[in-house]
Amino acid sequence: MPNPFTRGPAVTRRTALALGGGGLLAMTLAACARGSDTQPSAPGTVTLNSDNPTWGPGYAAASAVLAKRIGYRITSRSIASVNNYTQVIRMTAQTDSTTDLIKWTNGYRLQDIARADILTDLNPVWDAAVERGWVDPAQRESFSYRGKAYGVPLYKSYYAVFYSKKAFAEHGIEVPTTFDEMLDAAQRLKDAGITPFLSPGATTWEAEIWFMQLLASIDPDYYKAVTTDKASYTEAPAQQAMDLWSSMYADGFFSAPDVTSNDLPGLVKQGKFGMMLYGTWFANTLLAAGLSDADIGFFRVPPRGSAAPAIVVESGSLSVPVKAHRHRAAVEVAENWLATDVQTAWVGFLGDTSPNPHALPKSNLVKVLAKDIADTRPVELTRYWEASPTPLIEGNVQDLGSFMVNPSKSNGAATLRSMQNRAVTEWKTWNDA
Amino acid sequence: MTLTQPPVPDTVLDQEARPTDRRRPAFPKRSPLRARLTGGAFLAPSVVLVVALLVVPFLFTIYRSFFNDNGFTRSWVGIENYRAMFADPAFGQSVLNTFLWVVGTLLLPVGIGLAIAVGTWKLGLGGLARFAIVLPYAISGSATAVVWTFMLSTDGGLDTLLRMVGLDGLVSQWLLQWPLNTVMMIVATTWQATGACVILFLVGLQSIPPNTLEAAQIDGASGWRLFWAVTFPQLRPMTVVVVGISIVGSLKVFDQVLLLTNGGPGTASETLALTMYRETFTLSRYGSGAAVAVFLTLVVVVASWAYLRRQLRPTD
Repeated sequence: MPNPFTRGPAVTRRTALALGGGGLLAMTLAACARGSDTQPSAPGTVTLNSDNPTWGPGYAAASAVLAKRIGYRITSRSIASVNNYTQVIRMTAQTDSTTDLIKWTNGYRLQDIARADILTDLNPVWDAAVERGWVDPAQRESFSYRGKAYGVPLYKSYYAVFYSKKAFAEHGIEVPTTFDEMLDAAQRLKDAGITPFLSPGATTWEAEIWFMQLLASIDPDYYKAVTTDKASYTEAPAQQAMDLWSSMYADGFFSAPDVTSNDLPGLVKQGKFGMMLYGTWFANTLLAAGLSDADIGFFRVPPRGSAAPAIVVESGSLSVPVKAHRHRAAVEVAENWLATDVQTAWVGFLGDTSPNPHALPKSNLVKVLAKDIADTRPVELTRYWEASPTPLIEGNVQDLGSFMVNPSKSNGAATLRSMQNRAVTEWKTWNDA
Repeated sequence: MTLTQPPVPDTVLDQEARPTDRRRPAFPKRSPLRARLTGGAFLAPSVVLVVALLVVPFLFTIYRSFFNDNGFTRSWVGIENYRAMFADPAFGQSVLNTFLWVVGTLLLPVGIGLAIAVGTWKLGLGGLARFAIVLPYAISGSATAVVWTFMLSTDGGLDTLLRMVGLDGLVSQWLLQWPLNTVMMIVATTWQATGACVILFLVGLQSIPPNTLEAAQIDGASGWRLFWAVTFPQLRPMTVVVVGISIVGSLKVFDQVLLLTNGGPGTASETLALTMYRETFTLSRYGSGAAVAVFLTLVVVVASWAYLRRQLRPTD
């Protein structure tokens, strides 16, 4: 057998392949070593990373106005999985691979990354926006950590009841103005063979929705206290809320807990939809599904007894990483994001309420609710998801999901004990960190 | 997982062809340096890839499991993550569920796969039957989960079917009650994974020399006796492989559970892989997640090593 190592032409096929392969490998490694985000974006643009791939046209609409104001447009990119997105931001925001702007949540989830000093202090931006009347100053606290604001509100949604106008009209139900009227409405829908409340959440984040709303309706001050470690989950208001939730389940007011909110348009078509307590951002999905304000209306869940009116607010944060390539431009975008014309373009796409009370969406779906809120000025509470440290919320929401599967009164009490035990551990961890 | 070819018993080898010297063929004691370098160069890419993509991350995971790590700051906590992990009741539940998965996938996909392979092997329309069973194997795990979510959710496909045939008493919250949800997820996995077992067992059946079966039949063996005394022992190498793959697959089960129940309600249907995912990616507790990962790796390695060591020893 010929010795393969000593024969052959000077440049063998093997050498050629090795050189070619080596060259390709080197090019691949070089490409990997410098991701596209390590370079600044095209002139006149700032990059924004988000976990909502459907919002691209909204950013484009807002960018058209931003470009006129400051000469910068937003180029958005997104990672659809929330968990993946969270990890990507936690990793990249510490490096120069970050985008110029990031979408994040407010509350404790924002505080969690603000503690790592990776976000820019936007206090001056808030001062200017409040002075111009572009934002409710009460929201500032949920974007702040130790006196510094680390984001401006990207959007603002309320938790309100979506109801079927047709079903209400057919069964002679008026939009409820007291909690008991809401329960009466539910009873009448049930008598008519319609499940009163579509209520997902067995294994999802949505398990928090009725818990936080019942607490908000029973005692808004207690809600603030219990979510900030100033009260215990085993105190009377929480027990009342769980008992009430349990009795509403016993009355057959809720759907099975493994439904999804996406069932809503189908149920409307079948004439089987009654009500669903949900974020107003969902209006966008309903509009896309062909529903309009002729089909669906909103109402605020009324307070129970003599409690002050309160409503739960969900907001996202537009934040500027310290290492943003176009840092000044990104801060400028944050400064102008809340401007009425920018917000009008933005909520024109979202079909939702705006952090800027002067900007209203085109759709009538949310306008009525926005007007009601402007008139009654209910206490605005931070959504449960962002109202306490993340591991506490994630665990408690899982407990609430289990409760929804087995909603007995005794399980309600056990659920509150478990939530309180977790609160003790997790607040200690949060305060020690 | 590395599977070694079972050693061939000496008696099977052709005695004529066997060299009289039982030592290994005579290679030169030291191959030329250049040949060894060339060999090394060919091996290098694989070695580098395995070290860089498997060994180093694994060692880093072990290292990380001794820290309190939130992705931004890291502080040494010794074995605290492991202590907390074993003290957490959710972890106990997760180990129990993982154990159920191991037992379930051994009983169902492997057992049914074997039965179908043996039962349809020589049937006229066996090919058609096997095609129907193997078909779901071609569907991705996520798509399967979507279909089964539709089937198993409250008032979903299965409940509707039960009501249609008058079995209202059996209507259940299939994915919401433990242990029913874990059992139903194993059934869903069985629907998909049985096909793979059927294929592997068929390959095993085709490698059985027909003369052994004919000899047994001439001796009057048939049915269960033929299977148990003649066919099954000769299927052993393939059974070892299928059971080994099944054990490892069920220990690290993740996608079906994530998509069907997300480990819930609460943490009722969580498996070890989901606990690892929740700690790491939902709670951003990288140290605790790493501790679960190390535990899971140890369980997988020990289980497969113990099993394969026992099964793959030279036959007597």
